Amino acid sequence: MNSKKIVSLAAALGVVASSLLGATPAMAEDKVITVWADETRGPALSKALGSLADQTEGEWATGYKIKVVSYSSFDALKEALDKATANTGPDVVIGANDWVATGVKNGKVAPLTLPASVRANYTAGALTDLSYQGKLYGIPISMNNTAMLVNTKLTGGKKPATFAEMVDFYTKNKTSKKLSAGLCVAGGGMSFGAIGVLNALGGAPYATDSKGAVLTTKDPIDVTAMTANVKKYLLDSKGKSTGFFPADSTGCKDNFLAGKVPYAVIGNWEWKDYVAKGFNMNNLVSVPGMTKTTFGKSFASVSGAMLTTYAETNGNATGAKSFLNNFFGSATGVVLYARHEQRPPAHKAASGAVSDGAKAFSRTGNQAGMPQIGDILGNSAGGKNFWDALPAYWTAVLIEGKDVAAETKKLNTLFKKNVAEGSKSLK
Amino acid sequence: MNLVSGRPLAVIAKVIFVSIALAILGLLAISAFTAGEIAIAAFLALSMIAIAWVYFTNVSVPLKFFLPGIIFLIGFVVVPILYTIVMSGFQYRTGNYISKPEALERVQALGVVQDESMTTYDVTVGRLENGELALLATDYLAGTYFISDSDSKVEIASTDVELNEFEVAVSAPGFEALPPDELAAMDSELSSLRFYSEDSYYLVLEGFEVASLYTQVLEYDAASDSLTNIQTGDVFKDNGRGNYANINNSEDVLIPGWRAPIWFENYAKLFSDPKVREPLVAVFIWTVTFAFLTVLTQFAFGLLLALALNKAIRGRRIYRIILILPYAIPSIMSILVWAGMFNTEFGAINALLGQQIAWFLDPNFARAAVIVVNLWLGFPYFYLVSSGSLQAIPADYSEAAAIDGASPRQIFWQITLPLLLKILTPLLIASFAFNFNNFNLIYLLTGGGPRATLDGEIAGATDILISYTYQIAFGSNVQDLGLASAISVVIFVIVAAISLYGVKKSKVLDEFV
Repeated sequence: MNSKKIVSLAAALGVVASSLLGATPAMAEDKVITVWADETRGPALSKALGSLADQTEGEWATGYKIKVVSYSSFDALKEALDKATANTGPDVVIGANDWVATGVKNGKVAPLTLPASVRANYTAGALTDLSYQGKLYGIPISMNNTAMLVNTKLTGGKKPATFAEMVDFYTKNKTSKKLSAGLCVAGGGMSFGAIGVLNALGGAPYATDSKGAVLTTKDPIDVTAMTANVKKYLLDSKGKSTGFFPADSTGCKDNFLAGKVPYAVIGNWEWKDYVAKGFNMNNLVSVPGMTKTTFGKSFASVSGAMLTTYAETNGNATGAKSFLNNFFGSATGVVLYARHEQRPPAHKAASGAVSDGAKAFSRTGNQAGMPQIGDILGNSAGGKNFWDALPAYWTAVLIEGKDVAAETKKLNTLFKKNVAEGSKSLK
Repeated sequence: MNLVSGRPLAVIAKVIFVSIALAILGLLAISAFTAGEIAIAAFLALSMIAIAWVYFTNVSVPLKFFLPGIIFLIGFVVVPILYTIVMSGFQYRTGNYISKPEALERVQALGVVQDESMTTYDVTVGRLENGELALLATDYLAGTYFISDSDSKVEIASTDVELNEFEVAVSAPGFEALPPDELAAMDSELSSLRFYSEDSYYLVLEGFEVASLYTQVLEYDAASDSLTNIQTGDVFKDNGRGNYANINNSEDVLIPGWRAPIWFENYAKLFSDPKVREPLVAVFIWTVTFAFLTVLTQFAFGLLLALALNKAIRGRRIYRIILILPYAIPSIMSILVWAGMFNTEFGAINALLGQQIAWFLDPNFARAAVIVVNLWLGFPYFYLVSSGSLQAIPADYSEAAAIDGASPRQIFWQITLPLLLKILTPLLIASFAFNFNNFNLIYLLTGGGPRATLDGEIAGATDILISYTYQIAFGSNVQDLGLASAISVVIFVIVAAISLYGVKKSKVLDEFV
């Protein structure tokens, strides 16, 4: 081999070798706990904790720093968790309470035990939300709920006391005020966001007793009452939608902000968008029911910081538990986080740090909140799960003009089967 | 061995390009290896060896041209197909997602029960004089302190312990607390340790500062591969379907389960389970109809335009450019624009017709919309290939026929079309195969709907096999990847058969066979 060849080969090998060396991960100086979160909770947590460079080692978990990875959306985060492997998964993931059941079944989340002093900071319901078959899988962070915002500039300062009052206002002012709808769902979509409307009309995904326990034998929907209410309030004499309640949430937020809709269901993660446009959170109410003292109940669930099984394989399980207890389980940590988060915190001691918007959502949640039971809502023993079935119901009765009684009966049957199957794992 | 040969410039260029390729593959291999994807890392490493061998030696000149294609073919076609075939033989669904060793580990980890009082202790982790790891625990309620190691628990007098500002014991005679860095470094070991308490209870760390009392309820017997619930006496054995099931009640299974081979059960389900079979048959019929109608309409319209523009007319070049435009616009954009145009309330189509047709709510209208949009997306292709083919047919044939008295219609049906079909049949078959799997169109235009969701329908009126498969695999909370893989294999067989027929018809491989 002549010198030219040797030089060429050496050059080639040099490029390869240098690239390989460049690709070799540097020895980490700090042990790091990795937290995955979505596009709102991730940045909020990053701001609360500070960057890796700014953090003091061991501030929240002995010997560790905390790295936050934010995903572009809640769905992207869920997909990433589904695809995570032993070497790529996070130590902690911030997710919805209805992730717990699937997470346990797929070996993604691991149980943890909170010290009594930490448990005392949460309601029993908040802890139940993150439990499956008697074991706790995460620490509650914040409440997730929706409520109805009234555009009092349109309604002349009046907040509706009954569902009929809203319909009446829409009917009388539809043309003069150029309303595009009466009540629409701006946050949470036509299932999570529309549950208050369903409940006001006489339906629910499951019947519960006064303590929130699921009644498996009782019909979730009062078919007769709901059929009558849908016909009376949402449809005209020919069985077509009056336009009061659109079956689709598209454009609702823009139309509400533009003053074309008097009432909109909004999510507690977005109230600042409305405040920025001049809306007052004092005008946030629960969806009114059929009488003055009743309300349409909305889901009031918690999101949680869940310990993953990857924490064990990553060799960070004890540190991750420490982080959960010391940060999310302490008033200090939660207050730090709450400064950057719009949702109200689940931690009782952090309630003093809550903003007015979050307080308004807490008020409506306490007034008309219902538990969000993931194993029932995600169950599809009836053919479809709640998340798919409710939007399909709105489409069937409000767009397709199908027979309301028949569709309501179908929805009730479907929910009933889902309740029967999904509640098995609650025992 | 002639490692490097050729002109200096060529040698330098080759070295640079090959080095870059090797460096990229090396990067990917290391990433795959660190992610635990050993098979992918091995494949990339083998690819690196093959590239170095082929391009730095003269082992085979044709291989220098074929190797990149071969690597991509293996990586992106052969391996996914083989993986799908393997997965179609598995119980691979929500609840049966991980491997058996992982599932067993999780079942055992979940097979513990906390003491009734849910006792937790504030603890300090450290070592005894003999070097053994131990916990110095503070019992607030009893006002006592104790040290627990793997097999003993020793009470410590309150006068012997040193407390921190939170009244937690941090040091005691014969016990030395671990420094923070060592604690973090030993996390893996600490999380698996059980510290003795009393009876069958032991302490497990719930963070570096807290420990809880547990007792193991499920005990694993490796010899019989079974788990026994010590409290109830229930025995759980591998049910051969990816779960440990109660031997007295097969419905009572432990979670999580694992991916278990069930061989041809997913395929059998396609025919035996009415919930799967009935929609599958309907979807299959529509898939064939959709692909056939698509090819027919696209070809007919493309050919019509090609015939019209085959003669010298004024502005022919401009017409041709305009006709090719739909082909130049990304199909995703076109589909979304069409979806808007079919909107019931605001769509241009209804405005034009002066109707309020709910295009995507009625099965027949939705199917018609799908065909129309696909016609728009595909006719330029057939216009182009038909134009080229028309020009390849010698004009002598039609001139001779005209002299013999054949009408233009007869010339088209008897001469032009048969000759065109001879040329274009492989392309028509390829187009049929492509549209058989035209996921983008269905997913973006109708989402497979309309479907009677409240009746529990999984398949929608416009779902084709591939979008139906997607619904099964990812469309709901319960994902059945094994069943979806089985349907994918069936689709593969159908499309492969069609493609093979097309290849045979076109005789393109004759020279190689």
